[in-house]
Amino acid sequence: MKAVGARLPRYDGVGHATGRTVYVDDVRVNGMLHTKALRSPHHHAGIKHLDTSRAERMPGVAAVVTHEDVPLLTYGHLSALGIPADEPLLGAEDVRYKGQPIAVVAAEDADAAQAGVEAVDVEFEERPALFDMRKSFDADAPRIHHWGAVYPHFEGEMNVRQIRKGDIERAFEQAYKIISGVYRPAAIEQMPLETQVGLSVPEPDGRFTIYSCTQALYFSMGVVAAHLQLPLNKFKFVGGTVGGGFGGKVDTATETLCTLLAQKSGRPVKWRWTREEEFLCSSTRAPWHMEIIDAVSADGWILGRKMLTLHDAGAYARFSPYGVTKHSFHHTGAYTIPNLHFDGYVCFTNRVPTSAMRGYGVTSVSFAVETHMSRIAEELGVDPLELRLKNANRIGDTSPNGITYTDPSTVDVLHAIAGATDADLPAPYRDASRDRRAGEWLPEHLVSQLSDSEGH
Amino acid sequence: MNIVVNGTNRAVESPPLTPLLHVLREELDVLSPKAGCENGGCGACTVLLDGAPRRSCLTAVGSIGGAAVTTVEGLGTPEDMSAVQRAFVHYCAAQCGFCTPGMILAATAYLERGGSTEVAAISEALAGHVCRCTGYLKIVDAVAAARDGDFDLSTTAESPHTTVLG
Repeated sequence: MKAVGARLPRYDGVGHATGRTVYVDDVRVNGMLHTKALRSPHHHAGIKHLDTSRAERMPGVAAVVTHEDVPLLTYGHLSALGIPADEPLLGAEDVRYKGQPIAVVAAEDADAAQAGVEAVDVEFEERPALFDMRKSFDADAPRIHHWGAVYPHFEGEMNVRQIRKGDIERAFEQAYKIISGVYRPAAIEQMPLETQVGLSVPEPDGRFTIYSCTQALYFSMGVVAAHLQLPLNKFKFVGGTVGGGFGGKVDTATETLCTLLAQKSGRPVKWRWTREEEFLCSSTRAPWHMEIIDAVSADGWILGRKMLTLHDAGAYARFSPYGVTKHSFHHTGAYTIPNLHFDGYVCFTNRVPTSAMRGYGVTSVSFAVETHMSRIAEELGVDPLELRLKNANRIGDTSPNGITYTDPSTVDVLHAIAGATDADLPAPYRDASRDRRAGEWLPEHLVSQLSDSEGH
Repeated sequence: MNIVVNGTNRAVESPPLTPLLHVLREELDVLSPKAGCENGGCGACTVLLDGAPRRSCLTAVGSIGGAAVTTVEGLGTPEDMSAVQRAFVHYCAAQCGFCTPGMILAATAYLERGGSTEVAAISEALAGHVCRCTGYLKIVDAVAAARDGDFDLSTTAESPHTTVLG
């Protein structure tokens, strides 16, 4: 156990500092082709005509891949969990966001590949586009998918992720004040310094060696295998060196198309996105729309919360239903609220699909909850730290989804903040602990939510 | 044309307007300068030209004249690193590592021209270099400490910036 408590050097520190670390773009293979993509210039359109024959004859072009070349065109990020897929690997009849790939061209160099892309004949029929998730529910909203613009596949084929806990009506009847707020964090690009990049090398035994910058190597392998309809043992993934990801390299951006191009051309194929593609076409953190309405007591207990969340998935679901589910489990933040009424929707727009970024689904709600806590403190005229200590999770409390907290650190974190900011807490707050509720920390409204188990 | 890279004279066949970054990476296999944005915005492609930091993505190879090109491969080897390289290792100033070569070269040039160890001055010297992992604090720590040069690389430094909450 020499490692525990020791300040060990990073295993990759010397490689990074001497420029020896090998990232995907640093891998050199003989005969390697370079890739460029034909991407939708429209936010929402039908593809009326697609002909790559002129591109295939361009000098230096070795292979062109369209939807017709993909054995399983539509495979979703949550397909393995039985959730219906909605996103084609390449646009076939429709494109639903600006930048969506329609065809990819592999050529001797990047310029030849770009010339190939420009030689693809394609015609679009533009359609009205939707950018504001609040309009996803409108009867006259642009129809993005055949089911409309709101994800319909939560459990029981409901279009909403719901949480119901306790007696919300009674909490609002008992409220001294009702305090509401609307919180709308915008999309954020993860912006790793290394853009999306992959390299697929066809091996003599029919397998593919795939150099990947993925954050989720076996997940990406499963996605490639599903689209190509080949068993996993046809792929050897080389990963682990990621030039920054932050959630933006969980989706499988390049590996599948590189491998289809490698299969068609019989040559190694690399695809490195430009910074412009990274900004305009790669997934972002989602924009969210959150409405919180809290029933509070005069002395700063939060008796109940009603919350409505809209999550902007962009054009395709990817992991969004998972993100909203996680969000719903965390919608009380680090605090215990016994009576809850939560509705969360995954809304589709014609924006670039959204995905993970540092605390998927949770950072948005943490921002909303903490801002709302400060708003409550201000409206009640109570100290914001005391309000938080009062409602902080303790051993035996239960989460929105009914999990018993066995060792919550909220009280200790708040005490550390008090210490770092020289806050002068009065005795009961200074002496608070994470221990199971009793006495003044167990008002009547928190009794019924307590778990029978002690935790641990 | 010929250019001098890390002390070695190299023949270059690329046309004179080719970005130096492309020549280094694709023609000469010098791979530490990274193609982060290829628009002069991120600093990951930085090299030293006669000791001064330059964005190799915006520098035409034909424009450098006889200037000596230095990349981190030329500062030191894993067995014999420069003081700045050793400081980056000891202070965990490299996380994903993609911005690190450019950061180290800019820091090296800054210290060689007598830059101070003040946080504000170091921050200004590195201002054109984007890092998305570290929050920059450990990088600034490493540069401030680099003059010392004598680090035990079997362990890592306590950062003066990581003790806010005790």
